[in-house]
Amino acid sequence: MMGDVACAEGALAAGCRFFAGYPITPSTETAEHMAARLPEVGGFYVQMEDELGSIAAVLGASWGGLKAMTATSGPGFSLMQENIGLGIMTETPCVIVNVQRAGPSTGLPTMVGQGDMQQARWGSHGPYEIIALCPWSVQECFDLTVRAFNLSERYRLPVLVMTDAEVGHMIEKLVIPPAEEIELWERQRPTLPPGQFPTYQAEAGRLVPPMPELGQGYHVSVTGLTHDERGYPDMSAEAQEALVRRIIAKVQENVADILDWQERDVDDADVVVVAYGITARVASHAVREARAGGIRAGLFRLITAWPFPEARVRDLARQGKRFVVPEINYGQMSREVERCVGIETPVLLVPHAGGDIHESGEILGAIRTLVSR
Amino acid sequence: MQEEIIISGFGGQGALFSGQLLAFAAMDSGFHVTWIPSYGPEMRGGKARCTVVISDQEIGSPLVRRPSAAIVLNIPSMEAFEPAVKPGGVLVVNSSLVPQRSERTDIRVFHIPASDIATELGNIRLANVVCLGTLVQAIGVVPLEAVEQALDNHLPERHRKLLGANKAALRRGAALVGG
Repeated sequence: MMGDVACAEGALAAGCRFFAGYPITPSTETAEHMAARLPEVGGFYVQMEDELGSIAAVLGASWGGLKAMTATSGPGFSLMQENIGLGIMTETPCVIVNVQRAGPSTGLPTMVGQGDMQQARWGSHGPYEIIALCPWSVQECFDLTVRAFNLSERYRLPVLVMTDAEVGHMIEKLVIPPAEEIELWERQRPTLPPGQFPTYQAEAGRLVPPMPELGQGYHVSVTGLTHDERGYPDMSAEAQEALVRRIIAKVQENVADILDWQERDVDDADVVVVAYGITARVASHAVREARAGGIRAGLFRLITAWPFPEARVRDLARQGKRFVVPEINYGQMSREVERCVGIETPVLLVPHAGGDIHESGEILGAIRTLVSR
Repeated sequence: MQEEIIISGFGGQGALFSGQLLAFAAMDSGFHVTWIPSYGPEMRGGKARCTVVISDQEIGSPLVRRPSAAIVLNIPSMEAFEPAVKPGGVLVVNSSLVPQRSERTDIRVFHIPASDIATELGNIRLANVVCLGTLVQAIGVVPLEAVEQALDNHLPERHRKLLGANKAALRRGAALVGG
């Protein structure tokens, strides 16, 4: 199965019943597959007028009680940024798949890039936290889309699946587990009856409020303005502090539950390659070649890019390891590695402008450079 | 064991589909497989190619610069990939559309009039499958029957009536590989 289609099947397995989108290469296959499959399972597919409308419809559908998603690529992802912020502020669970292509602007529409990683983190205005997952195989396109829905439901925020044109268009074997073996998390519903439940009141000791559903009798007030627990606008610095602090805390205080990464041959490594998505595939090959040549190299693969596994990366830096960061951009996650490891630890970026993937020799060369330094 | 195959031509010649057939056949034969396309923004024409990696181990990069085997369906593909095939590898050339001959002696080259054979079989669009038959027979990693099974499983509904012709094309291509 193709990666893009596996994202669609993962969404369906997670219970997604609404897709609104504006098809764009290289994510079109996700929309195409959802258009065919959603009516079969009683869901809704809406072809929207543009990406602004797409993400708006997805947020609306989520408040209507459905698990909802969209899929896009670079230019469309840029257009969605404002309403991703609305999803953050209104605490609306949804999933956005971004099949990254080479930019800026229209760039190379059919060819690979990884240039949206920092945009994923900071693309909408204001202070916030986000969750972004990076599949490196068709299997993970399925698995991580399921997980994206689970995280979005548990923590009530848009969750990003940051794939790329190569992973999205790649065909590999996919094993879809039986439905009963797929663990699903659902948003918490209010236990108080309509009339007594304020829209955003978390239970004592919890950070994520239960989410009422439109049409069930609850008085639901949803606004992008800073609001109080009733959802009513409150134009004060105090309300802003309370709301934004909670929106950030629900991710920061749950990183142990959210974080995911994979280590290969890292324990005894002198040089650790930090990579994600398709680039991690090439890096895994480069690490094997380095080991075959007697260099102690390891692979640290980001599965959650955001939040970033900073405690573990700091720990590896303290052990004296050096870092190589190949990515199909001119330095995005490499900045995050640099931030974590501090100025004493060498971090070598292996950049690529996009349109193609790295050759493993380029990554191997960087490993050798760091070893000999 | 790892085979890296590039199939390249104009959009519409079936480079991507024949690569998928090979990938499905290898997957059903128990191998690790990746298939990855590369094409431009054109709806028709333009360059289209795919890379299929077949391995008995987990596959790192699904893209390669130097394939172990290639099918070239048109002149630009010949120019791009004839020099790229690794020594000891296999090159299948659609000689109906590619007049030049490879002078490499370190690889096995099959110049086959695939478009002419396809026309003879009733549909010029079968040229991709003729070439695939030659390639599969030459590299010998998956049996021809596995590709036939892949045709049974994956030929789109609208082309179902061409199932027999596709299998015939596959056999004709395979038969061009001597001993």
